[in-house]
Amino acid sequence: MMTELTDYSAFKLADLVKTKQVSAREILQAHLQYIEKADGRPGSLDGIPSADDDKKIHAFITHTEAIALRQAKQVDEKIAKGEDAGLLAGVPFTVKDIFCVKDTPSTAASRILANFTAPYTATPVARLAAAGGLMLGKVNLDEFTYGSSSESSAFQPSPRNPWDLSKVPGGSSGGSAAAVAAHEGALSLGTDTAGSIRQPAAFCGVVGMKPTYGRVSRYGLIAFGSSLDCPGPLARTVKDAALMLQVIAGADKADATAAMKDVPDYLKDIEKDIAGMRIGLSPDYFRITFPDPESGEYVEQELPTEIQDAVYRTAEVYKALGATIVEDVPMPNTRYGIPVYFVISRVEAASNLHRFDGVKYGYRTPEQVKDLTEMYRRSRGEGFGLQPKLRILMGMYVSAAQYAEQYYQRALKVRSLIRNDFEIVFDPGGLYKLDALLTPTTPTTAFGMAAVYGDSVMMQYADQLTVPANHAGVPGISIPAGFSDDGLPVGVQLLGADFSEAKLLRIARAFEMATETDEWRTKKPIVLEGE
Amino acid sequence: MTIAYEAVIGLETHIQLNTLTKIFCSCKADSWEDEPNTNICPVCTGLPGVLPVLNEKVVEKAVLLAAAMQANIQDLSFFDRKNYFYPDLPKGYQISQYDHSLATGGFLDVPVPASSDTGSDAYVRQVRIHKLHIEEDAGKTKKEKDRRYVDFNRCGVPLVEMVTEPDLRSAEEAGQYLIRLRQLLRWLGISEADMEKGNLRCDANVSIREKGSTVLNTKTEIKNVNSIDAVKDAIRKEIERQIKEVEKGNTIKPWTLDWDDNAGVLRMMRSKETEADYRYFHEPDLLPLVISPAWQARILEGLPELPLARRKRFMEEFKIPEYDADILTTERDLADYFEETARLYGGDAKKISNWLMNDVLRMRNDLGKSMQELNLTPAYLTELVKLTDDGKINSTIAKHLLQKVQESGKAPYTLVEELGLAVVSDDGAIRSVCEKIIAANPAEVQSYRDGKQSLMGWFVGQVMREMRGKADPQITQRVLKEILDK
Repeated sequence: MMTELTDYSAFKLADLVKTKQVSAREILQAHLQYIEKADGRPGSLDGIPSADDDKKIHAFITHTEAIALRQAKQVDEKIAKGEDAGLLAGVPFTVKDIFCVKDTPSTAASRILANFTAPYTATPVARLAAAGGLMLGKVNLDEFTYGSSSESSAFQPSPRNPWDLSKVPGGSSGGSAAAVAAHEGALSLGTDTAGSIRQPAAFCGVVGMKPTYGRVSRYGLIAFGSSLDCPGPLARTVKDAALMLQVIAGADKADATAAMKDVPDYLKDIEKDIAGMRIGLSPDYFRITFPDPESGEYVEQELPTEIQDAVYRTAEVYKALGATIVEDVPMPNTRYGIPVYFVISRVEAASNLHRFDGVKYGYRTPEQVKDLTEMYRRSRGEGFGLQPKLRILMGMYVSAAQYAEQYYQRALKVRSLIRNDFEIVFDPGGLYKLDALLTPTTPTTAFGMAAVYGDSVMMQYADQLTVPANHAGVPGISIPAGFSDDGLPVGVQLLGADFSEAKLLRIARAFEMATETDEWRTKKPIVLEGE
Repeated sequence: MTIAYEAVIGLETHIQLNTLTKIFCSCKADSWEDEPNTNICPVCTGLPGVLPVLNEKVVEKAVLLAAAMQANIQDLSFFDRKNYFYPDLPKGYQISQYDHSLATGGFLDVPVPASSDTGSDAYVRQVRIHKLHIEEDAGKTKKEKDRRYVDFNRCGVPLVEMVTEPDLRSAEEAGQYLIRLRQLLRWLGISEADMEKGNLRCDANVSIREKGSTVLNTKTEIKNVNSIDAVKDAIRKEIERQIKEVEKGNTIKPWTLDWDDNAGVLRMMRSKETEADYRYFHEPDLLPLVISPAWQARILEGLPELPLARRKRFMEEFKIPEYDADILTTERDLADYFEETARLYGGDAKKISNWLMNDVLRMRNDLGKSMQELNLTPAYLTELVKLTDDGKINSTIAKHLLQKVQESGKAPYTLVEELGLAVVSDDGAIRSVCEKIIAANPAEVQSYRDGKQSLMGWFVGQVMREMRGKADPQITQRVLKEILDK
């Protein structure tokens, strides 16, 4: 089998371009041709389902070929003139359609923004472009990022899992993970509010990183939970994720919550050995707690063996590399992650959705209305899908004057307890002194299309192992760690202290290198087989 | 027996700060002259994905005001979202401060002048400040026929919201509070404070009670008043209405009332039976506002002596009457001008005050200039007053000279020389003119000598006219008397 340009890592592609072995334009053409073949029709409003939908990926909502061509031309001109074409010279990437990009439809996968063309570009997207990246298009997601399967998109068909087209790619950055896994661009820019980068990365067998809150600017990211949202990279290799983070991280005068801290060189020590590092395992990450749909009682359940095994196998690899595995690390507040998230994210979401009122942009009811209130009601009623509506109702309820103390204020207190769990175990002067906590990324492997969709509560519990990092603001990365018996990718997660991205990437890369020649590494997504 | 009522009034003011740019973006703050929707950007129009970034100048100006009101400036405060729907509010929430605001407490001592209407003496009303916070302004909407138009230019203009305790007892007191607040804002240089332009806006909460009682009865809220006179009118009318209602045995409902300035009447906007729930929560897009001691100290270096303190000091230090001190401290640059001149002069400061209040202010107003823009500097005014003191020029000439200094920019002494304005005190020169006048008016001379002494004034006038006002009046009178009484 011949290696195509679409199979190369971002690292390799940028190198090929800089050494003039291949032009940005050639890379772009290869990707455009491949995407046309593999991706199928993009998601569209009122997209009527067809049997053919299950044969393609459907990662995209909008193709931005013209932008990519212009960017490729600029890169090639710079190379021709001997100028620095940037860290991502000629590297094709996709963008989750929750980011505003000037002159492109920026839909949030919602009917209410289907006709919205952004007049400005989000900071991380602008940085990718400035580094020589080629923007292939905007990819699909759950409506306003509200979900864990990408099925709630108003733009159908929603993305499929490249390893098994009958399964979901996860979400909400499902289009991003599917595109990267299917080689439709080496990199994708996603967002993670409760696990929306790491969970789909795990489902699709790719690398996904949620950086420390504030490490990457949120300017231009259509907000969900403003105190939780983190833009971050999805890539096929750890080094590519590091390369992309290098480009998008850093202070931004348009985002007051973006950290002023200097961005270290993420690639410099990425292949240094990890001997002596302390990696923790916590029993609290090997079970999930969720409400029984019938009784409403909380039930505790062990994770499936194949998920647990993947984590233990990874720990063995680290042990062999000279790391110390610290077992029985208590993370007692992990179980409150989802209930707390239910409250905080909904309060912020309901408020963030206020601006979509049909007055200035986006959907406005075509019906004749008698007054302003009716225009609001109809525009929002018709423009929002089920998930935004549920979140508005819940958010309004728990932040209402008479309930705020009981729910919202209380949730904020529990959130600080969750943060405290991390502070204790990462404290360099503490009992555990962990460099990273190793956990499963998800409680299950990719589930079937429509298998969980419709049960909003259970869908949320898909994020149970990822959401604590969002509450705490700490970084996390999900990396592929093998496959389940039915051939689906299994991801493991590394969590670290604030701004420990370089260390997490190094630990992740160590595993990647140690397992480079493993048999499971040769498996390819179904869409790439037979080429 | 009739019951005596008193009004209980609290004022909620919104003050537009005169920063260069808006509170959370880099659009210019002032768009008074701009066409609708031409001074806007993605941030102030609340496009999806945008984030606010705090303009530190807003904090600095608000801190100055808080310090001037003797309020407690908080070293840690928070921004909050106030959630509600309105077309002029593009994000669907206003970024404001709620339970941890920039400053709390404080007061303003408002001098209330004596009133001939009520026969009351002058007194000072202390008005306590309940809370002071910063927030963003909303846009404007207007309705025309069946269409509604929105202008976002004003979105994101920085505001200070300052709420008083219900400490005011009459419409007159409310008016005086606003006059003093406006003076203070301009004095601090933090707001243009022009009510007609909406730089200073005021809502009034009004209730009544039996005089001497301490209960707080149901209040109504008056909105949309855009001049100090209108605030007074509206409050006066509302007090009358409430008294009438209570005397008829009706209860006061917590209405929101809209002031119609043209018709001079209050209209009910809505009944406010239930409080709106704004679902406040801390704004996650902004960091908590930390005002370090060092920053606060740096800001307060720019805090000038306040108008009422300066007024008091002028009375004590320069021995000028309260009336003068009040006028001279209406504006900071006028007060500076007076103080500088009075110091240069060193003599009776009341003389300087008279010159300023009678002549300089009128001239400045006619020219439409600020005190600093005048060619007549404090040094020149001092020189001019000294020239009159020394008898070099008389007061008529001095007033004329004032204009000449302003027109030419030349020093008074130079002009006196150039234009020959100095008083003639040469006995011989005056004597020859007196003799000429007496010779030319034998009839008047006869009348005078027959006992009509009052004609002396007429003779002096004739001499003055002949000498174009420059004759020393005392010498003139002495010489005339000598000749006539001979």
